[in-house]
Amino acid sequence: MVMNDPLRREEKKDPTPDRKESGPSSPNVERPGRDDILKRMKRVDPKQSENYKQRTGQ
Amino acid sequence: MRKRIYGIETEYGLLIKDTEFKLDPAQVADRLKDHIFRSSKAGVLDQHYRANDEPPGNGGFLLNAGRIYLDMGHLEYASPECSTLTDLVTYDRAGDTLIQDAVDELGWRDSIGIIKNNVDLETNATFGCHENYLVSRGFPFDEKESLKLLAAFLVTRQIYCGAGRIGGCDPHPLRDWENPSAKEQEKQVDFQISQRADHIPNESYRWVQYNRAIVNTKDEPLADPSKYRRIHLLVGDSNMSEFATAMKMGTTTLILELMEEGIANPEWILAESVEAMRSISRDQNFKWEVTLRNGRHTTALELQMDMMQTAKKHLTGKNQETDWIINEWASLLNDIPKGPEALIGRVDWATKYWMLNDFRKEENLDWHDPWLKSLDLEYHNINKDSGLYWSLEGTGDAVRKTSDEAIDYAKTTAPRGTRADGRGEFVKILMNMNNKPLYLIDWIGFRFGKNEEPFLMLDPFSSYKNKIRDYLAESEKNEALRFKSPTKESAS
Repeated sequence: MVMNDPLRREEKKDPTPDRKESGPSSPNVERPGRDDILKRMKRVDPKQSENYKQRTGQ
Repeated sequence: MRKRIYGIETEYGLLIKDTEFKLDPAQVADRLKDHIFRSSKAGVLDQHYRANDEPPGNGGFLLNAGRIYLDMGHLEYASPECSTLTDLVTYDRAGDTLIQDAVDELGWRDSIGIIKNNVDLETNATFGCHENYLVSRGFPFDEKESLKLLAAFLVTRQIYCGAGRIGGCDPHPLRDWENPSAKEQEKQVDFQISQRADHIPNESYRWVQYNRAIVNTKDEPLADPSKYRRIHLLVGDSNMSEFATAMKMGTTTLILELMEEGIANPEWILAESVEAMRSISRDQNFKWEVTLRNGRHTTALELQMDMMQTAKKHLTGKNQETDWIINEWASLLNDIPKGPEALIGRVDWATKYWMLNDFRKEENLDWHDPWLKSLDLEYHNINKDSGLYWSLEGTGDAVRKTSDEAIDYAKTTAPRGTRADGRGEFVKILMNMNNKPLYLIDWIGFRFGKNEEPFLMLDPFSSYKNKIRDYLAESEKNEALRFKSPTKESAS
């Protein structure tokens, strides 16, 4: 890919384990970060969807 | 066409989290827009009407050559014209960041959520993420067969481009001339892979608010109309994943190139594309079976695999970006049969499905529990402290296509390689003027001061930077002459 600017380089990261192996068909409870995600999810107001009230756009 | 130009427009949702908050979403959007231009000084506000519902001050162009404005009650960001996918993703993220920065600077970080999604799960309102691709004027867009071919691709790409949603809706009769009472009630679904599928009742049409179509046929090139056409698509979902945004735009541009070169296969055309759009999105078993116009039964995955193989055969080696798209497209399609968990961080619907399903089991919730709808929204919150998607970036599971440093740079600097570079330069010059003359900026050019001649930027591949400097110097000279002329007149 053509890089227009040295700052706009693709960030190189090691592939996650899931990208190289056959994916399990059910959630992997050992998955790194799963506990943090669940904690973040538990902090969400269960009723916030009712307050969204968006207008139709395009 | 050899060179590419991409653009993306995002209409944001706005969630008031603080029940004591005094402003409504439309007022908040207006305050955010004003803050971005007047306090953050990220660009210049329009001085003129752009439409009846876009009065002066409704929005403006940014230093990065993109645009922020209010559209039908939504805060909207349009990226500048980008010549690479990396630039596109970077500038898409820069728009998110400019808006979230404004939220933070106004002290609203905990009170307001900016939601980058496309549906209100309670009211079924929908709002868009529009994609723009530059093609040559000779692109076969006036042929019904071409529209059907493009529709076949767009309907099936949702298996890796969709952002996913809880439940479904039947917001309007399938077509406005059909009687809703005669229509059979839609079967309730737990989860769909696409946010927009329920809101697209036509295969091809030119409207953007009602009777939306899989292929939008509006012809507004915003460039020399004798040379270019802009393919403007509204069928896609807003993606949180940088990788998904790049794949959505990248695979679509390859299909457009196959069509332009007459290589796309008419055998890909679906029997009923609108029906297939909905049935694929609603398939709870992720089998995605479709029927082709030729009567053959296949799946969205097989069809996409054939499209990818055709692109691989004819376009490989064209340039580095093309090879990246083809390799990642093949990788994605090979991983899809392994299940949603194999796609985490690359495919939004799969990531969201994994999160919600895991949480649902943990908390023993039904798919239709209101908490899951609230979590669905929170996946799209662009606030990195609370939005669910961002937890993946923290663990390195989100496959990135740009970097935070590049995004920061892109908030105030235009991309190179397109006319956006010149527009950004013009906005910068305007902002540095103590007494700004009258100006009018649009995507295809601008007017400045009392110069009657607009500066047109009809070639989207040219930066126009030197010509803009010459034009401004000439304008200043004319201004000076004009300043002297009244003295002569008064003396006569």
